[in-house]
Amino acid sequence: MALPVSIRASVTPLELELIASETLVDIVPLISMEKTAFISGAYGPLRPPVKSRIPLWMATNLKLKKKCHIVPPDWLNIEFLQERLTHETSYPAFSDLPFRFAEIAKVILDVASDDLQNPDKIRSLLKDLREARQAKSREGLQKLDHSELSLPNLCSMEINEIRPFFIQAMSVLTKLVREPTAGP
Amino acid sequence: MDNDYFSIDAILAENQKIQCTFKVDIPDMGHLGGGSERDIKSLAKVPIPIWLAYIVLYSDWADFSIPTPFGARVRNALKAESRSVKLSGLVGAGGLWYGFGKMIMDILSDEQANEISEVLTKTFRGRLTEVVDQAQHFAALGPSGGGSSGDTSLSFREGLDSTERELFALAQASTKRTKRWYEGNNRTRR
Repeated sequence: MALPVSIRASVTPLELELIASETLVDIVPLISMEKTAFISGAYGPLRPPVKSRIPLWMATNLKLKKKCHIVPPDWLNIEFLQERLTHETSYPAFSDLPFRFAEIAKVILDVASDDLQNPDKIRSLLKDLREARQAKSREGLQKLDHSELSLPNLCSMEINEIRPFFIQAMSVLTKLVREPTAGP
Repeated sequence: MDNDYFSIDAILAENQKIQCTFKVDIPDMGHLGGGSERDIKSLAKVPIPIWLAYIVLYSDWADFSIPTPFGARVRNALKAESRSVKLSGLVGAGGLWYGFGKMIMDILSDEQANEISEVLTKTFRGRLTEVVDQAQHFAALGPSGGGSSGDTSLSFREGLDSTERELFALAQASTKRTKRWYEGNNRTRR
């Protein structure tokens, strides 16, 4: 394969961001636009100040040209994230978060931090969440088996980070463990 | 370390020698023992590599004993603290301790093979967390770090066998990538 070894088993974070950018978000447009056809569907018309729902990639684009304001999704605010953080630190299981929360949050924080109430606090909450979940996935490593490993509620960026390592480790274990039924 | 003919890992793992006691005389093969004899006499102990030993044992021309990297002493050390044993010291640099163990497992009878399989899996699991920790630690420091880690972690890394080194590299690369993405391009998009 022509791909470098490190990306053969996983996807790059930028690709994940691209995939996550298909999510629909609410915006408050500042310009008018007719209903336009794109590859993924037709969006619009945009009539300020009415809110409309468009994909994140389009919202980022418009935002950078200062043509809209992004409304943060329901889960991207301090109360929700704080509640999830306390849940994360008090229970051993992973708390329920939108599957692509890391990518969406990062994109919105990057381009539209002025549309959020308290971007620094949100950033630090996200960081704490990430660290708490990483610690839990390390413990999950102890239970690594050659046949299966179930870590419910893990999010796409986290899965991507541990995937190449975990599958290699599991395949090594498979080779080491296979003794009980086989034999010369 | 499969039984795949073309697997490079398997070839390297099979390069280790084990002691065999020949049961029959074998003329003209004395050079295998590294000595200057012409023949191998029966009951002579000759160290031969596993890829050769496999056939010799199957055809019942020799018996063999469990080699040192899996002997009682090593096993006790691993049982005590699997992370402090230097696996690369047991099979030479770039060696494959796990691969070697798997080869031995294939030759042995059931109960002994199960024992070795236990040892291998327990060791692997015990060292795995440490491998991950160190990989993430090094992914964070970037090109400038490394000098400040303690002696134990340095000697642990030197003692990793090839399989573990691959895992270390994988974990480090993916962590570095993700970190770089998280901290990257805060304003400079498109």
